[in-house]
Amino acid sequence: MKKRDRNPDIQYEGNALVRLLAYMKPHLASFFVCLLLVLVVTVLDLYRPTLIGNAIDQYITVGDDTPLTVEERFSGVLRSGGIYAIILLLLFICNRFQYLMMQKTGQQIIYDLRNTLFEHVQALTMRFFDVTPVGKIVTRLTNDVEAINDVYSNILVRLFQNSVKVIGLACIMLAMNTRLALTCFALLPLVIFLTALFRTLSRRAYQVSRTRLTTINTFLSEHLSGMRIIQIFAREKEKGDEFREKSEELYQANFREILIDAIFRPATYMTYVCSLAILLLAGASSVISGAISIGTLYIFISYLESFFNPIQELAQQFATLQSAIASSEKIFTLLDTRPDIPPDDHPEILPAVHGRVEFDHVWFAYQGEDWVLKDVSFTIEPGERVAFVGATGAGKSSILNLIGRYYDIQKGTIRIDGKDIRTLSREQIRRSIGQVQQDVFIFTGDVASNIRLRDDSISDSQVQKAAEAVNAAPMIERLSGKYQHPVSERGATFSQGERQLLSFARTLAYDPAILILDEATASIDTHTEQLIQEAIARLMQGRTCIMVAHRLSTIQNADCIMVMHHGRIRERGTHQQLLSLNGIYAKLYALQIASH
Amino acid sequence: MKRDITLAFRYASRHLWQYLLGLLSLLLVDSIITVIPRLTGQITDGLTYGITTGSAVAPMTMADVTPLVLRILVCGALVSLGRFGWRYFLLGASRSIEKEMRNDLFSHLETLSMRYYNTHKTGDLMAHFTNDLQSVRNLMGMTVITTFDASIMLIMVLYSMFRFVHPRLTFFAIMPMMLIVLCYSFFAKAMHRRFLEKQEAFSELTDHVQETVSGIRVIKAFVQEHFELAAFALKNQKTKEKNLGVVRLIALAMPLLDLIIGLSMLITLIYGGYLTINRSITVGQFVAFNSYIGMLVWPMIAVGECVSSMSQGLASLGRIRTILHEVPDISDTPDCRHDITALKGSITLNHLTFAYPDTHGVPVLQDLSVSVRAGETLAIVGHTGCGKTTVISLLERLYDPPEADMICIDGVPVSRIPLRVLHEQIACVPQDSFLFSDTIENNIAFGMDAPDHAVIESAARAACLHDNIMMFPEGYQTRIGERGVTISGGQKQRTAIARALVRNAPILILDDALSAVDTDTEEQILQNLKTLRSGKTNLIIAHRISTVQHADHILVLDHGRAAEYGTHEELLALGGIYRDLFDRQQLEKQLHQDRGEDE
Repeated sequence: MKKRDRNPDIQYEGNALVRLLAYMKPHLASFFVCLLLVLVVTVLDLYRPTLIGNAIDQYITVGDDTPLTVEERFSGVLRSGGIYAIILLLLFICNRFQYLMMQKTGQQIIYDLRNTLFEHVQALTMRFFDVTPVGKIVTRLTNDVEAINDVYSNILVRLFQNSVKVIGLACIMLAMNTRLALTCFALLPLVIFLTALFRTLSRRAYQVSRTRLTTINTFLSEHLSGMRIIQIFAREKEKGDEFREKSEELYQANFREILIDAIFRPATYMTYVCSLAILLLAGASSVISGAISIGTLYIFISYLESFFNPIQELAQQFATLQSAIASSEKIFTLLDTRPDIPPDDHPEILPAVHGRVEFDHVWFAYQGEDWVLKDVSFTIEPGERVAFVGATGAGKSSILNLIGRYYDIQKGTIRIDGKDIRTLSREQIRRSIGQVQQDVFIFTGDVASNIRLRDDSISDSQVQKAAEAVNAAPMIERLSGKYQHPVSERGATFSQGERQLLSFARTLAYDPAILILDEATASIDTHTEQLIQEAIARLMQGRTCIMVAHRLSTIQNADCIMVMHHGRIRERGTHQQLLSLNGIYAKLYALQIASH
Repeated sequence: MKRDITLAFRYASRHLWQYLLGLLSLLLVDSIITVIPRLTGQITDGLTYGITTGSAVAPMTMADVTPLVLRILVCGALVSLGRFGWRYFLLGASRSIEKEMRNDLFSHLETLSMRYYNTHKTGDLMAHFTNDLQSVRNLMGMTVITTFDASIMLIMVLYSMFRFVHPRLTFFAIMPMMLIVLCYSFFAKAMHRRFLEKQEAFSELTDHVQETVSGIRVIKAFVQEHFELAAFALKNQKTKEKNLGVVRLIALAMPLLDLIIGLSMLITLIYGGYLTINRSITVGQFVAFNSYIGMLVWPMIAVGECVSSMSQGLASLGRIRTILHEVPDISDTPDCRHDITALKGSITLNHLTFAYPDTHGVPVLQDLSVSVRAGETLAIVGHTGCGKTTVISLLERLYDPPEADMICIDGVPVSRIPLRVLHEQIACVPQDSFLFSDTIENNIAFGMDAPDHAVIESAARAACLHDNIMMFPEGYQTRIGERGVTISGGQKQRTAIARALVRNAPILILDDALSAVDTDTEEQILQNLKTLRSGKTNLIIAHRISTVQHADHILVLDHGRAAEYGTHEELLALGGIYRDLFDRQQLEKQLHQDRGEDE
């Protein structure tokens, strides 16, 4: 047998149910009101058959020897009808009120939990986002949270209601006629056994069919994507057979589910019919012997039916509760993930950031001892322009990441304006750094919102000014909606170069003291290329600039060029100095020239 | 619509017996289930009034009760049997139909050309297999059951009420029930709208989270966390409100349903009670009538449900039909040369001009002529987008050229060679080296009819992959794409090469298949190919000079035209695009070597 391994998403050790219930705390008052209402509903519900039964006994079936006249009997029925109408109305009001109240409570809890979770996720560091697929985080925040909604808005109340119903009914029946009640309960153990067995079997069958469905869907999505390979290798028949095999397996699993259902549902019904038979036999003999009235028998007959339903519902609700707990464990695991850079603790706030950046024997690895930066030291004075060059994987981008403290280093110190960045406010550092990333992320919204992001304190004219300064204005003006032109996540309407310009505008609008530029390598048409070069020049004005550069013009204009090689700075100096050194830089340069 | 129903019947007719037996079972259940309250009623009646035999009335004894109870048990058993029957037959049939449709869909999709896949995304196609099949299954199973059952139940119960109890009482008691049908159509519409709004809000929320997490770098870099939280809270609030919108409707609908049913019961109590006091009906009839009212609730609700699930199922059926009726645009032509079972390997391009569909006739290839004799190696180089891969796609007949004789193998237009033969006789290593999430062994054996480990291993050796594979703990049984074991781009490409090599086909195509392999390994692979593929035709497409320099002929493509053609030496001497490419790559190589020394 295959070992059942634990879901890797759940590393939650505590009691998730207790923690789930703890979220009810602020809503205890409404919860108890709901329980009270449910109690009223249940009692009224249980009273309904009794009312009719009594009416039958007192006014309808009484023999001809009754002292009541026909009119009196009928007015008695009318009176019962009146009470019944009032009960109906009360039930309507209570049900409605209880349902609304509980759902509102549930939704409020979900709303709060979502916000908390979102805030928590945002506070996690890049290391977390590097290793966690986007889809997983999205599922936690959306579907998993949704799955526990039912606990608050429905399950808890229903569990209570059904328990009350079962116990209440049992008590009433016992109080009315113990012997008859016990005959009704005779088959109860069988019902419970059948239900429990059914739950286990159907759960197992469901898991099998679920797994097979996933298998077939995975197969499908893979083979539809790889249809070209199937066709050029002439494997249509073989793959078709494989699909049919998987399809048949899924069908078998589904059929098994049907079969289990088809056996157990009628079986439970049959136990009900048997119970009814026992009740009728016992009841009839009691009526004949005069131990009970015919009305009592009527009441028992209708109670019997309402007795069987809540037991099965209870089983259903426990199953739902279980799956909600599984979801909640995933949520709590995420919620308990601590950011590996702890939140700033009384950080020092600099009056102003001048832009002096200093690396002092910095060692850094994304993982273990896989050093990406080895003993890197340099100092960049305010207003200086430094370009990092080197092959891919030499560690250039990591340097940029470290300045904004997206990762913490293992050895050495990074200082901004002479202060260790670990003592500074991350928020202040990041605000004073303008980062232009290689691949530009475009948010859904419009052009203006992509420049100012969500900071409304940046006015329209500031947005416009920023766009003009980086040569983005002409291209924006060409759009039908200009600054209000809608754009989407993939930014499909923009070319690579235009996206670059937009991100320059975004950076400039925030007016940073330090500019960090991770230049894109993508080839861009000559016209846009020229616009970009001008824009970069303007962006750099009056700022400390640290860049990973590919464009010759950007590199040549730097005050200092640092050549990275396998995590170390191998050469540094100006363009001319490095060329005369005839080392790595000279070769990289020659390569650049050749490709232009 | 009519054709959708025809399609439904075509599938259903294969399960005629299942449907007949299933519906019979339903009929059995519905006809017997009304008997039970009547029997219960007879018992309560007998207990109240005694048993009437002729004109004499005797009090009921247990001897009278027992046979009635036995009859209840028999009825219960029959109902249980029937309930098993309809589930087994009808739900079983709907699952069978689902399976058959699923298989037919996949088989049909296998015949459709790349043109189809370029315009139909995998995700959309998947939706047909998941959502549409599910609602068709519902249509063929549950909807059939509900419709049939509700109608039968309605007729039976109403008949029993009219026939055995009292027509006027029946009429008054079911009046409120009519309200349910009316209310349902109103609620269904409002519910549908609010439900859509709720789902829309939820997917907006999902999109928002998706975007925030994807753009987290920007958000952190610009310190937007507070703003993002506020924006998220807004979406969250909207989701909550839309959820409550649905809730409010349910909070009205459910208690209202309860109220209406209660109203029927109330009418039964008062009017029925009146009739019983008047001796128009017996107590037993009165008790049975109460049960009947309970039985009517479900069919009333079902009527509304059926309408919506039926329209959904038919819409899905329509979408599935569209796929099944999609005519494959590339298949064996009427003038197909079925006598061809093997290819020798000479390739001729004859003034080949080609434009992809939906590109407004902008040609990718223009007037391209070249011929390769069987056993020769032709290399094609050029910038990205110059049309190299298009040549391969045409050769593989993933698309058809405007004129059949523009592209020929062994002097026969590709379109007249049977597709299966064409694909079997050409082994291809495509650009994206798509592998399946299966073991390495099975991936290499993909094109083999009878996998043979010795052949697989020798192909892996030729592709310089064997040593890598042996380094994995599970060797050839290592699964690709599963957690933990990911193989590098170069290893992927070499697996794809081995996959092509095992076919030992007369024509081998390497479409930029060595780009992620380092130059030393590349040289080794090319060397292996030379011995392995001697006497067979090879087509090599590459960016790198090192890959193509030993080819018999080299074709340089520029914007879909043949710019240069010749051997490596000839082209170097020409001093054109090829020379330029060569110089640049020499420099790169040098830099690379320097880095090597650095290690």
